[in-house]
Amino acid sequence: MRGYVTKRLLIAAVTLVGMSMVIFFLMRLAPGNIVDILFESAGYVDQADKKQLERELGVDRPLVVQYARWVGEVATGDLGKSYRYDMPAWKIIKPRLPVTLELAGLALLFSIVLGVPFGVLSAVHQDRPLDYVLRVLSLAGLSMPAFWLGMVVILVFVRSVGWMPSVTYVSPFVDLKANLWQFVVPALAVGYRSSALIMRITRSAMLEVLREDYIRTAWAKGQRRTLVVWRHALKNASLPVITVIGIEFAFLIGGLVVTETVFNLPGVARYLVDAIQLRDYPVVQNLTMFIAVVVVLANLAVDLLYAWADPRIKYGKA
Amino acid sequence: MTLTRRSVRFASLPLLLVLLLTLPAPAQAPKSGGVLTIHPLTAPPSLSPHEESTIATVQQVSACYSNLVYFDPGKKQESLDTIIPELAEKWSWQDNYRNLVLLLRKDVKWHDGKPFTSRDVKYTFDAVRGATDADVKLRINPRKLWYENVEAIEAPDPHTVVFRLKRPQPSLLLLLASGYSPIYPAHVPLADLKTTCVGTGPYKLKEYRPGEFVEYVRNPDYFVKGRPYLDGVKWVYIKDRSTQIAALQAGQLDVAGSGWNKANAETAKKGKPELVVVENDSNVNDNVLVNAKRAPLTDPRVRRAVNLALDRKAYLVGPRLGAATFGGAMQPRPSGVWGLPAAEVATLPGMGDPAKQKAEAKRLLAEAGFGPNHPMKLTVSTRALAIYVDTASWMVDQLRQVGIDAVLEQIETGVWHPKMTRLDFQVALNLTGTAVDDPDAMFFENYRCGSQRNFSGYCSEEIDRLMVEQSQTLDRAKRVKLVNEIDRKLQTEGARPILGWAKQYAVYWPRVKAFPQHENSIFNTSRYQDVWLDK
Repeated sequence: MRGYVTKRLLIAAVTLVGMSMVIFFLMRLAPGNIVDILFESAGYVDQADKKQLERELGVDRPLVVQYARWVGEVATGDLGKSYRYDMPAWKIIKPRLPVTLELAGLALLFSIVLGVPFGVLSAVHQDRPLDYVLRVLSLAGLSMPAFWLGMVVILVFVRSVGWMPSVTYVSPFVDLKANLWQFVVPALAVGYRSSALIMRITRSAMLEVLREDYIRTAWAKGQRRTLVVWRHALKNASLPVITVIGIEFAFLIGGLVVTETVFNLPGVARYLVDAIQLRDYPVVQNLTMFIAVVVVLANLAVDLLYAWADPRIKYGKA
Repeated sequence: MTLTRRSVRFASLPLLLVLLLTLPAPAQAPKSGGVLTIHPLTAPPSLSPHEESTIATVQQVSACYSNLVYFDPGKKQESLDTIIPELAEKWSWQDNYRNLVLLLRKDVKWHDGKPFTSRDVKYTFDAVRGATDADVKLRINPRKLWYENVEAIEAPDPHTVVFRLKRPQPSLLLLLASGYSPIYPAHVPLADLKTTCVGTGPYKLKEYRPGEFVEYVRNPDYFVKGRPYLDGVKWVYIKDRSTQIAALQAGQLDVAGSGWNKANAETAKKGKPELVVVENDSNVNDNVLVNAKRAPLTDPRVRRAVNLALDRKAYLVGPRLGAATFGGAMQPRPSGVWGLPAAEVATLPGMGDPAKQKAEAKRLLAEAGFGPNHPMKLTVSTRALAIYVDTASWMVDQLRQVGIDAVLEQIETGVWHPKMTRLDFQVALNLTGTAVDDPDAMFFENYRCGSQRNFSGYCSEEIDRLMVEQSQTLDRAKRVKLVNEIDRKLQTEGARPILGWAKQYAVYWPRVKAFPQHENSIFNTSRYQDVWLDK
């Protein structure tokens, strides 16, 4: 197992190096750079000043040199300086990480708590009224974009009770209750879509497993219904569900742009879009790398969970 | 019939009642306390107004700084007559408007406790005008042009400053009163002022989180006694328009409306009828950049055809939803000071009968060799922001009505200004706002040969000469005449056709009192020392 993890981590490192190159060079392919934006939007361009600023920011150096400098800085824990805000990129990124992680974590929690049990119930009650109701609900979840649902929820709250989640971020360490009020609505809006997907995958995997001989044997032996369904069947149906949950988490980390915007949450995803528009390379590169790291680690976690879910899977042996 | 004393008394009762009802209510005494939560146009790129050219920065740092002079927040129209003292107690022009002498207050401290002196003034404006012997150099200096007529700044004693000019320029005072002209502390490193604020204004910076909010608390040592009334001001950036409206309706914002159009203001009011909606004229215009250096627009007939094809009345009811006024390069009167007379505005290209103007446009295009068998192809570029795209899409439709094969090109904000500066477009829809309603700011910046913001590349030696002439004209009536003459020429020659001047909105809860709004600038009202909350 340890050997397998080490091997996977090495592959992850190579993947991340590849990702860093793609991120770095793709950004430079987009027309316009930060110096153009800073100067020409001010309507005042002094060519000498412009050259000086390019030198200061290092954007006049060859791309390979700029790349090497960035990688070197990241390796030593220095994320560089935001071109736009003229302050350490880490100071801008740091307060945004917990916001996105909390939103993604809560949304994933809701999606699992809702998606898995409803998927099981739907499969167990196949083609009966409960199944139809749950299938309609899941279809609705997949059809409604989270940001639209979020906006509708906000409007309903404002119109009916004159309340909406706080538009300024409240840290859980300052006021846990206010923080939860702020995050529950957007997390439910996002989690609903994910739960619909998880429910559908759980249902189809369960339907397959429930028709297996060993389940039929368990029923024949007179095993309790809950034991058969929730222990034997669900565990064996969980491989595709774990895969989907892993993918969803990775998606949530980078895919919350619109939800963060609608609920005015100062997270990573929303800021990434602003930084791309401003060509704030250090911030974009580091935020994108952060998302890449989360995706790679989520994939690794999913692979390791396979072994727990299915004892036939052994890592580290030929 | 005889009138008894009693019947007279009886008859006068209703009259008295009517009188009492129509008398203005006694002014409420301002209350102290509370934090004003307000939504800005956008998040500020930095807190250093001298290094930025966006209203976002001016709006959100004005509460922290002071100017030498400022515009009276209580007067709707900004002009030389509404300038009030701030850090300068008194001022006088000498040597036929060549020297401006300002006497400074002696009781002013910076937020960090250091005393304010004339050295701070010299330090600030030497940096802004890019003086060779300035103590510091601004990394980006957008308003250097404003002070090119300043020859030297002297600080003969700690409380006197003298601006020595190359030629008379009465408008210098207006430029000094702009929100873009705060005084910086000479003892604080310039680079620090991008992320912090050490000023002499009514509020001290409490916290700044880039892209999120800027929060201030009351400055107990503010030099205006008894001000400010509020305990603090918090600017909260909300990107999504629907969320802005919902946050105002839910009471999380006291004031909103920056960047809102009429429909947004009406939506907010519909949800909460008790909200106060104030519509004002503004000094932001929608204008058309016509690149006279790129074919087929090199032909003056084609340029005139484009101008005539754009029916201004359709613009008013279309993209602007009825919320705009018509004018030339200077903001129209009566909200503006220098605009062309209304009768003359009505005769400008695009203002006449739409059918006749479109027929004339088609005739001009035919003369230039374009027609149904050989339609002119034209790309209308604009910034990929809703407020720009709405009007540009309308332009495309108008141009198609005269047979021009027009297409829309949306340019990402990051490359918009570089593209305009390079004249890399045929026709573009642009929005222009100037910090002060003054010809020196508007003309020199946008129409002078070689100016970086002269995006249409228009250049006329005669207009340049007239610009300088109006700038140094001391007689007000004579100057208005000259300014109108310049404006008339600019409109006739289609230097940068103006579609109209947009209206602006402020939407707030009735508890907000004395919220300042000016009709001819959105840049110079955010000090908020007189604002109070009735709660």
